[in-house]
Amino acid sequence: MQEATFLILTALADGSQHGYGIITEVAQISGGRVRLRAGTLYTALDRLRADGLVAVAGEEIVEGRLRRYYRLTPEGTAVLAAEAERLHANAAAALARLRPGLAGGLA
Amino acid sequence: MNDITALERGYRRILACYPRSFRRENEDEVLGVLLATAAEGQVRVGLDEAWDLVRGAMRMRLWPAAPRPRAVRAAVTLMLAGAAAELATMITVVVTSGAVRAAVAARYPAAAHGVMVHLAIDMAAAPLAIGMWLWLAWANGKGDDWARMISAACFGLVTLSVLAALAQDAAIFAPADLTGAAVVWAIGLVSVVLIFTPAAGRYYRPQLARQ
Repeated sequence: MQEATFLILTALADGSQHGYGIITEVAQISGGRVRLRAGTLYTALDRLRADGLVAVAGEEIVEGRLRRYYRLTPEGTAVLAAEAERLHANAAAALARLRPGLAGGLA
Repeated sequence: MNDITALERGYRRILACYPRSFRRENEDEVLGVLLATAAEGQVRVGLDEAWDLVRGAMRMRLWPAAPRPRAVRAAVTLMLAGAAAELATMITVVVTSGAVRAAVAARYPAAAHGVMVHLAIDMAAAPLAIGMWLWLAWANGKGDDWARMISAACFGLVTLSVLAALAQDAAIFAPADLTGAAVVWAIGLVSVVLIFTPAAGRYYRPQLARQ
């Protein structure tokens, strides 16, 4: 899973968001390191919706413009959880090998 | 206000690269996000955001997100195999045409002219057939319903022409020629059956629904 996709799913993990909301959430989650651009965001959302990981939660018109809210589907939640587990296990293994004495502190 | 419309126009120009179905559903929304993330007083589309948008459009067109059912994926692969089979047949005909000409001239002098005309027509039609297979693979992969209809029509024509050829002059068909025709016909049959299965049917939509 690409990092942008992982961060988009993470941004939706605790509730629905609209497009701009996802961008600000992703910036916050990544500590300002990842600034999603609209092209990347909507290409990823298009695929995530087709794969059934993300669904539209609702729409509203704000200042004459469509604002669409996205949410994780149960399948999306499961995929994100599995990916997070995998990354966590990899990161823990890496840190354990780098600093054998500190490995216990991560669990 | 003037600045905003100029910027919006710039964004719209780039968004025109996106597939029509995506634009219809999302253009307004994407535009809203683009304008919301634009810098204060920005008049022109930045080079990096333009590239990001164009890259997204390319990805969407080349690798459409709609998951293709297994039947459609198999049919597309078979159609590409059909193009390969036509190419192999064409190469065989080119390579062996000298030998065929000599053999026909020696054994059936009366039929020589007819056979050479037949070969010439084959050679002229081969690139057309290859192009047709490739185009049908592409269009069926996109899920265009008319491509499915054209595939069925082409298969019907191929069947008729094979039957007509067999009825008329089966005697002069070389085994290689018959094998080639049979392989192409079988590929056509299986791919047409695949794209008309119920699982594939749900993937196909009328032309205007996707682009």
